[in-house]
Amino acid sequence: MLDLSVDEYAHLNSPLHRWEIRYKIAGLLALIFAFSFVRDLRLLPAMLVVTLALYLLSKLPWRYLAHRLEYPGFFILMLAVILPLTTGATVLFQLGPIAIRAEGCLSVVLIVVRFGCILTVGLVCFGTAPFLDAVRALRALGLPALISDMILLAYRYLFEIGTDLMQMRTAMRLRGFRPRRPDTETLNTIGSLVGSLLVRTYERAERVYKAMRLRGYGHGHTIRNELRTRPGDVLAAIAAGLLAAAFIGAQFYLNR
Amino acid sequence: MNDNQTALTLADLSFAYPSQHAILRQLDLTIAPGERVGLIGPNGTGKTTLFLLICGVLKPTAGEIFLFGQPMRYGAFRPEIGLVFQNPDDQLFSPSVRDDVAFGPQNLGLSKAEVDTRVMESLRTTGTLDLAERPPHHLSGGEKRMVAIAGVLAMRPRFVIYDEPSSNLDIRARRRLIRFLQAATETLLIASHDLEFILEVCDRVLLLDGGRIVADGAPRDILGDPALMQAHGLERPHSLVPHEIPHHR
Repeated sequence: MLDLSVDEYAHLNSPLHRWEIRYKIAGLLALIFAFSFVRDLRLLPAMLVVTLALYLLSKLPWRYLAHRLEYPGFFILMLAVILPLTTGATVLFQLGPIAIRAEGCLSVVLIVVRFGCILTVGLVCFGTAPFLDAVRALRALGLPALISDMILLAYRYLFEIGTDLMQMRTAMRLRGFRPRRPDTETLNTIGSLVGSLLVRTYERAERVYKAMRLRGYGHGHTIRNELRTRPGDVLAAIAAGLLAAAFIGAQFYLNR
Repeated sequence: MNDNQTALTLADLSFAYPSQHAILRQLDLTIAPGERVGLIGPNGTGKTTLFLLICGVLKPTAGEIFLFGQPMRYGAFRPEIGLVFQNPDDQLFSPSVRDDVAFGPQNLGLSKAEVDTRVMESLRTTGTLDLAERPPHHLSGGEKRMVAIAGVLAMRPRFVIYDEPSSNLDIRARRRLIRFLQAATETLLIASHDLEFILEVCDRVLLLDGGRIVADGAPRDILGDPALMQAHGLERPHSLVPHEIPHHR
């Protein structure tokens, strides 16, 4: 069975876990927006402190963050290599034709810290609540019903598609298919596998749609789930909003 | 019997997919409220197509369909009829069992309290209350089947169609389903290749082949007729094979 592990730490007990999801999303997204607005290096330490505090409050394990940073980290690593070699005029160090430039290094620092803080706050936001609650909250915040329904259906049927894929791969292996290198025959076989999966998925989608219509989808009103709000949830969202405003205000002030 | 006394009336019903030969030809059928009708026939004979027509998902090429005296319009939503699909994964599309069973009542515009009541009632009726918070992909085949039934029952239908309900069920789940259907009060229309299942649950059997209803009668009469069954690619269920005829290895 496909294991997505999207909710592996969603049921811990921390202030961030207890923060009602709508207010958490609103507050932390405001903070993420503010972080993306920052251009002045003097604000980076404050960003790091806020991010670290949020992550410690969430009680999420460090391996969770490390695991999620892996793939985007490669992309950032590429930038970290290229930018110091290509951006700016002030040469810090030169070895033959290779020059390490100050402006490039500073750009890397800004990009890496902003990226790390934004991703970490995003993980805190969505890693401390079940995926389904997050989708419901987004719908309550104004995400169109059609998009939220599509997200939920995609999540639900990703497991079925994963199971189908594994079964088909097992069946192929049992009939001697051993992909060793990307030759024409292998690519054709994999292409057929993907094509079959797409066709089966499409046919299933048609059946699911019929099942939904038969139970009234598109004919009636859907009740929103009632999410319980406490005063602390609102206060925390206001605090996050004020913090976001402070970062943006500071950026304007330092840049005047 | 007039339309007001019938649960389902098919009048000269025909259907063909575009540019294909006719699947159903001039079907006439009447089912009374409370009847438990089994539908048998070889694969590809149009059983599922017939169900989708009855539910208004497909549009007939000719003829009419009446459900509890009211004409069934193509695309209409009629909560008094429910369809349990052959593959429960096709109708368990919500992230949790509770959400899935609540789906139909929510679309009926009911209050949250009424939706919750119906969900609990349906889960209890189908014996799936302890599965309420589970995601569907974590359920066994039998559990999925019962949850799919709960999702349909939550709309309180008066007529329920079951498409191959015992397929892929183990013996225990199959027996649980038989007991459940024997106790059901709705009008039932059940398609199945499991002829012993039909014998235990139904009080009337229709044999569909070549797009027509070729036999209609008591289960033991239809299923126990060797010539009839063989002529339509079927066999008598084992319990109806007289044991003076040697048929064991």
